[in-house]
Amino acid sequence: MADFRLRVTYAETGRLVMLSHLEIARALERAVRRAGLPYAVSQGFSPHMKQSFGSALPVGVGGLEEIFDVSLTDYVSPEEALARLQAVSAPDLMPHAACYITKDEVAASAAYPRSTYEVLVEARLGEESCDDVLSAARALTLPAEIVVVRKKKERVLVPAEFMVGALEIEPAEPGEEGQSRARLRFTLESKATGSLRPDVLLEHMLDGTGLRAASILRTKQSEISKA
Amino acid sequence: MQNLWPRIEGLLRDAGRDIGRPARYLNHEWGCTYKEDADYHFCMVYPDTYELGQPNQAVRILCNVVNAVDGMYAERGYLPAADMIDLMRREGVPAFSLESCAPLYEFDAVGFTLSHELVATNVLEMLDLGNIPLRAADRDESHPLIVAGGPCAFNAEPYSAFFDVFLLGEGEESLPEILQLHRKMKRAGATRGEFLRAASHVDGTYVPSLYEWLPEAEAQQNGAWARPLFDDVPAHIDKRVWKDFATSPAWEPTIVPFAELVHDRLNVEILRGCTRGCRFCQAGMMYRPVRERSADNIVSAVQRGLAETGYDEVSLTSLSSTDHSQIEEILRRLNRGLEGKGISVSIPSQRLDSFGVEMAELVAGGKRGGLTFAPEAGTQRLRDVINKGVTEDDLFGAIDAAFAAGWRRCKLYFMIGLPTETDDDIKGIASLAQRAYDRAKKATPPEARGSVKVSISCALFVPKAQTPFQWDGQIATEEAHRRINLLRSSVKYRAVDVHWHEPDVSLVEAMMSRGGREVCDVIETAWKNGARFDAWTEFFSLDIWRAACEACGVDMQAIAQGAHDTSWVTPWDHLSVGVTTKFFQHERRLAAQERTTPDCSYERCSACGVCPKLDIDIQCQEERHG
Repeated sequence: MADFRLRVTYAETGRLVMLSHLEIARALERAVRRAGLPYAVSQGFSPHMKQSFGSALPVGVGGLEEIFDVSLTDYVSPEEALARLQAVSAPDLMPHAACYITKDEVAASAAYPRSTYEVLVEARLGEESCDDVLSAARALTLPAEIVVVRKKKERVLVPAEFMVGALEIEPAEPGEEGQSRARLRFTLESKATGSLRPDVLLEHMLDGTGLRAASILRTKQSEISKA
Repeated sequence: MQNLWPRIEGLLRDAGRDIGRPARYLNHEWGCTYKEDADYHFCMVYPDTYELGQPNQAVRILCNVVNAVDGMYAERGYLPAADMIDLMRREGVPAFSLESCAPLYEFDAVGFTLSHELVATNVLEMLDLGNIPLRAADRDESHPLIVAGGPCAFNAEPYSAFFDVFLLGEGEESLPEILQLHRKMKRAGATRGEFLRAASHVDGTYVPSLYEWLPEAEAQQNGAWARPLFDDVPAHIDKRVWKDFATSPAWEPTIVPFAELVHDRLNVEILRGCTRGCRFCQAGMMYRPVRERSADNIVSAVQRGLAETGYDEVSLTSLSSTDHSQIEEILRRLNRGLEGKGISVSIPSQRLDSFGVEMAELVAGGKRGGLTFAPEAGTQRLRDVINKGVTEDDLFGAIDAAFAAGWRRCKLYFMIGLPTETDDDIKGIASLAQRAYDRAKKATPPEARGSVKVSISCALFVPKAQTPFQWDGQIATEEAHRRINLLRSSVKYRAVDVHWHEPDVSLVEAMMSRGGREVCDVIETAWKNGARFDAWTEFFSLDIWRAACEACGVDMQAIAQGAHDTSWVTPWDHLSVGVTTKFFQHERRLAAQERTTPDCSYERCSACGVCPKLDIDIQCQEERHG
């Protein structure tokens, strides 16, 4: 059977950043069905749509260039596929590009090991607040180690091993209520042995600084550049 | 109205992973209704969490009928989960609706569906979190009208202090009627009291504050425990029935959730009512008579619904879907239309006597998960007492068909403590399940026999209001444990598992099902002492309920376990499902004689009284053959 692999790029924004990866996957699968695209179905005990998703975003983290692949049994022009998907998608989970990929290309889940994040930080409310957001942000340092619990086992992660390039800090436009904000930008690379979640990194990095993350956004996903 | 979203979003962000499943609170699902220009706001509440309430069909139907009225906006409301409730209380954030994220207290009216007996404390939790006085008597013109409906409204008394109005029966017409009356009178400056008096004149409406509650002796003389305080208030209230059900479109607007639900699929209601006449079953008495929608209507509703929602499963819902006179045609047409799309068609419950080889091949597409059958009792004698109307051969025939068609797991559902039950009936459950296992194995190819599994699931009989067994008591908790242990020791096969519901929970259910107005105080006391989410095993505490009963001077055992003669006037005698008390009494007599009553949608009329009283008829698409 003909197999056309369509790669769709979408943004996950607004309040829908609170959805889990599974919830997003289910919503995208339903959007493909609503769009009436000729999706391929797997064979076997429990037939399901042939669809694969990019690397998961933690709950609370949005993304501008997120991807999923879906196999189609008939050719639909990418422009039409995109238009049909857009017509049946929630505004905060909106596709903005579609193209076909060859079968040699790496699956969505492993296509882009590097993720670039932009974080808006502002002063925490209450006693632990800080006076000057930008200087507090500029004083941020990467923790030497972070202990995470996975499958009931403790693991020690070294953030420096996941960071690609430097942590960038710059002034940002104020929040809705005029509160001053700073923008952090950093890139993390996932390893075969695991990855460091941006929200976990921030939690440790911001602890005791009087800053809180107002929003976390994955702005870019990329391949590992060949040196 | 206030938009609480920025505060809710802040709470969720700051709490991070401390709050489970934020998707419960987000709104913005595909298919939501937004009405900017409405002048009347109604919030339809399911008194449990989103994942339990969102699939509820009553909430969907009632929101849709209210939204169909110009200028009226129905939003959804769910009780936040315990972690979120605690956080909201700490931060002073009130209960809110989903669509507008507005505080509950700002609505003109709030509706609750009382889908089972254990939601009572959740109703109080929601009202309290919504800054609305718990008792109707403490509310004034500044508070929303609080309306209830659903199965538990048929014994409204345990909840009577908390609601302004109860709507009995099908709400498709009565809810918009009551709300429109409220809008009109409120606009004209009527007081709460004036509205309630007028509401009591609308068919199917019970306004408990307009009735006095009599002591038992006087109630028995009077023929009802509740006596109207005014001449124009009806002494007896019949349920409403929606006469256009069968001819109305089976399609209706559906919201597609982000969060995973307990029943996460497209629901298409194919028929309403079941007159098999099981004598313990409240639903069977409540939704009479049987009304079927046509195959054409159903098939086009499924096609449109799937295209609009993107679901990969559709359930053809009703109390007994395999009884639909066109069910085979419907399944055949759907299976043909959905072939190769990875979409499955399911049926929520299979009657043993109508589940044949053909049906086995037609449901669930390629998927063969578990099947559930409900013989309810272990011996033919007891099945005749309860009028279950199925035989061992029906069960074995269904098992043969299912396992030959590829199923490997089967759950058999039984009740323990049914009227007249003896130890032989309990041993009969074990024997029946073991023989069912033997049949299942025989119908399975030798190489797959290792995966054959039969399990027994049993629950304690809860006497339900508005059934022929409403006068029978529940067995004591200790006796229930003895019978469960007898069942467990009677099952000799290791491949047959026994599961059971906690009898403690069933005791509270029985009190709620059969209690009178005195139970209101018990509910409030239990809630004040921390009872909420009583349907969740991890939250339920019999100790809290016991203490509440003691504090209020209410004898829980007497209400739940007391047996009465059928001449005894019940606390719900002024509220009616349309079935006459005479019919219940007659059925109870037949039960004692182990005699069965046939299903009137297949055979002759059994004179339950519903059709003449409510001026309606059985509506089948074709003649039913059983």
